[in-house]
Amino acid sequence: MNEAPTKAEAEAYIKSLINKTLRVHATDGRMFIGTFKCTDTDRNIVLSLTYEYRQPSQQKLAEAAAIAMSENSQTVKADMASRYLGLIVIPGEHIVKIEVEEFASQIKSRSIWERRDIYSSTR
Amino acid sequence: MPPPPNISHPGIMAIDITDQFTSAVGALSAGELVKDEHFTLFESVSGLEIMDRKMDSGALDEGESLDEEYDVTRSLLPEEIIGILDQLLCLEMAWHLGYPLSQTLLTSVYIDALMKPGFLDADDFTSIPSDLSMEALLPLVLRAYCYGLIKSCFIVNECMKEELYYEEEDFVTNTYERNFLGDTPVLAVKGLLQTALTELRAPREDFSQEIRAALESRIELRIAFLDAIDLSTIRNDTSELPKLPWKRMRHLIDAIEKQHALGKPVPEAFSTKLQRRLASTMPPRPMVSLSFDECITHFKRFFQNGNEVLDVLQYTGPHSLLNFVLMFQAQKPQPLVFIRTVLQNLLFKDMVVLGRFSVRQLLDHDVSLNVLPCGPHFDRSFDDVEVMTDPRHKLASGMEVFRHRVADQYFDLLRILCQNRCRVRRTLCHHIREWDALEADVGEIEGHLQAPLHEMEWIVQLGFELRVYQPDEFAGMYHYLKRLAALRARQIEQVKQTTTRREERARRHLNVQKDDSLPLDIAHEFSQSKQCQRMTMIDAACTWEFSDGLSLLYMALLRLGLVKPPPRPYGTGALRYELRMRPFARVPDPPLPTYEEFRQEVELSDVPVVDVLHIAEGAVGAARKGLEACVRLDQDQSFAINATAHSRWVSNAKDCLRATIATSVAISTLKHAYDRMIERFRDEGKEGEVDKCGKPEYADLLNLKIEIPEPGDGYHDWWIVPKLTRLK
Repeated sequence: MNEAPTKAEAEAYIKSLINKTLRVHATDGRMFIGTFKCTDTDRNIVLSLTYEYRQPSQQKLAEAAAIAMSENSQTVKADMASRYLGLIVIPGEHIVKIEVEEFASQIKSRSIWERRDIYSSTR
Repeated sequence: MPPPPNISHPGIMAIDITDQFTSAVGALSAGELVKDEHFTLFESVSGLEIMDRKMDSGALDEGESLDEEYDVTRSLLPEEIIGILDQLLCLEMAWHLGYPLSQTLLTSVYIDALMKPGFLDADDFTSIPSDLSMEALLPLVLRAYCYGLIKSCFIVNECMKEELYYEEEDFVTNTYERNFLGDTPVLAVKGLLQTALTELRAPREDFSQEIRAALESRIELRIAFLDAIDLSTIRNDTSELPKLPWKRMRHLIDAIEKQHALGKPVPEAFSTKLQRRLASTMPPRPMVSLSFDECITHFKRFFQNGNEVLDVLQYTGPHSLLNFVLMFQAQKPQPLVFIRTVLQNLLFKDMVVLGRFSVRQLLDHDVSLNVLPCGPHFDRSFDDVEVMTDPRHKLASGMEVFRHRVADQYFDLLRILCQNRCRVRRTLCHHIREWDALEADVGEIEGHLQAPLHEMEWIVQLGFELRVYQPDEFAGMYHYLKRLAALRARQIEQVKQTTTRREERARRHLNVQKDDSLPLDIAHEFSQSKQCQRMTMIDAACTWEFSDGLSLLYMALLRLGLVKPPPRPYGTGALRYELRMRPFARVPDPPLPTYEEFRQEVELSDVPVVDVLHIAEGAVGAARKGLEACVRLDQDQSFAINATAHSRWVSNAKDCLRATIATSVAISTLKHAYDRMIERFRDEGKEGEVDKCGKPEYADLLNLKIEIPEPGDGYHDWWIVPKLTRLK
């Protein structure tokens, strides 16, 4: 879908995403994970059962880095802070990135399979 | 609420679709929505708009950091600890006053820090450094205080949830999924507080005696609070013991008030930013700022009421119990919702009344006291009679059916009376209808609990207290109150006669001679019943006479144009009557008069003003006599649980008495002004033109100023007495 899609194609594509779990990243660095319910031409997105995630704070990252150092580990692990929000509307202007969650088992492409999950978390 | 998704589950991949998505929505036409077919736009309105600062508590300002800027491990001066504890006290009270935790205690970074997962491990309570320097002692004091506070909140919240209250109207129990030490034993928390207290009391020279005393009283307050709200043990204890922690707190709060000046506020230890980590779709809300003085005033009353509410355990009888609840709740300001909940807990928790009595005991006691002293109905041995035709079996099973039917209704009434005043009125309106259904069923048992009429009176009286009625409606509403009270008086009269007959029968049965007295226990039961009937009679009679007097006075004021109906372009008297009487219209007995009948009764249009005022004067005078007798009744005669309840009862009667006196004054002021006006007409030779029934135009000729007191300004909230003054 690199060329501009027709209206029918566009509708079909968006419909295929309805009720899937989206990860919407906002301009202020937060990420919202919820069930996709609705959108419009301004890219306003409605998510239900949404959780808000924040990148760990600088202080937390520093603590985590110290632990990694002491354990001689290559990766630094820090939890993202999350909380439940429920039904939300994210105005299109505040969206920087949209991701859809898929089951790894249903994805054929090897390149995606090998992609590392960027959110290294135990929660 | 679903658990947070595991965002790094290996089986789930996140695929970036930003570009596809963007170009797809670009192809949609303006205003077009693509949505889940079950999702309605109506729902989306309730959605939280992200990045909208009014709604999204998580939105950050330009350059604002996500990090918590406040370091909870930073070292604090002892003065700063006092400052923080006092601020926590204000927030705690704000919560008790009905604000959510998110705007009160959960704005404290210390409370927040202690609630983080991992912080609540058991060893936290025992990990007390062996060498307590001041650097180690102060954090211990702060931590112990906070734990004590959190645990108190948990217990208060649980207690609230078990009883009837109105969420968000009276109180907010939402804990935003935070752990308020639900699983931590109270003993562990008290242990920590005790350790902090012991350490504070140990001799040390690093801070002043005053500071140390201030910290001590605050820690002690937390210990006493936990003791005070341990209701499970309190309700079985009628000794003075359960009152001790409340009394202790009452003293401590005085000390805390005096020590407050020692503290140094630490405003940065409180932040509404913490709301963005709470599980809530609520938009960000400001912190509730209660001044320290207000907070202390509330706490003083809170502890006083907590102490007094325990008096209810000194049960002496159903009538004094009802009196207690009524008078306790009529206090101005009303006791805080938690205290009212404690009262409910003591009254009914687990269907055990006041920790000692069964529902049956209370009901039997009530019926026997009010209508059936020494009735065979309460003989428990009858329960064992199995012969169906035996009258004892019939009586026992009849009573059992009766109890089953009225128990809920009876306890509902007590529960209703524990609510906020507006709710008391509203719920009573529903309650009277249910009584009526019962009344028809249990009519064969000569006892009717008399509650419906009295409840209907309360509804009207609460209407006055809550300023439901406009001044031009007072005449009508007081008249209706008079009707109800008169009916109740008639009912009591019948019961009195029955009781007298039953007493005579008992004498004959026991062969007691005319001048001899009945056996002590029987005589006592009869005399209690008769005293109870006498009391309700006085109450009904005073209400009857006083409301009659006020109704007539307001009628005269209305006729003379001193009380004017406001312009009501769409209202009619009949419609307003229908509205005001709606709660009573559905009760078949007593039947509601039609509007026309009612209007004629109230207006007495052919009775001259002079006569109206004359009758009013007589009625108010009679009420005054009755109340003067009330004021002199002692604790037993007035069915008061104890001296406190008695003094509350007497002061209520005195307020009513003052209201009658003020009414008499108003009546005579109006009478004189009216007479002067008539004289002037006579002097001008226009005597023949006078309309003896009064007309609104006379308002200007009477030379009077009328003031109708606002709620709380009068002598008594149920008796609104107009103040008339002569203009110069």
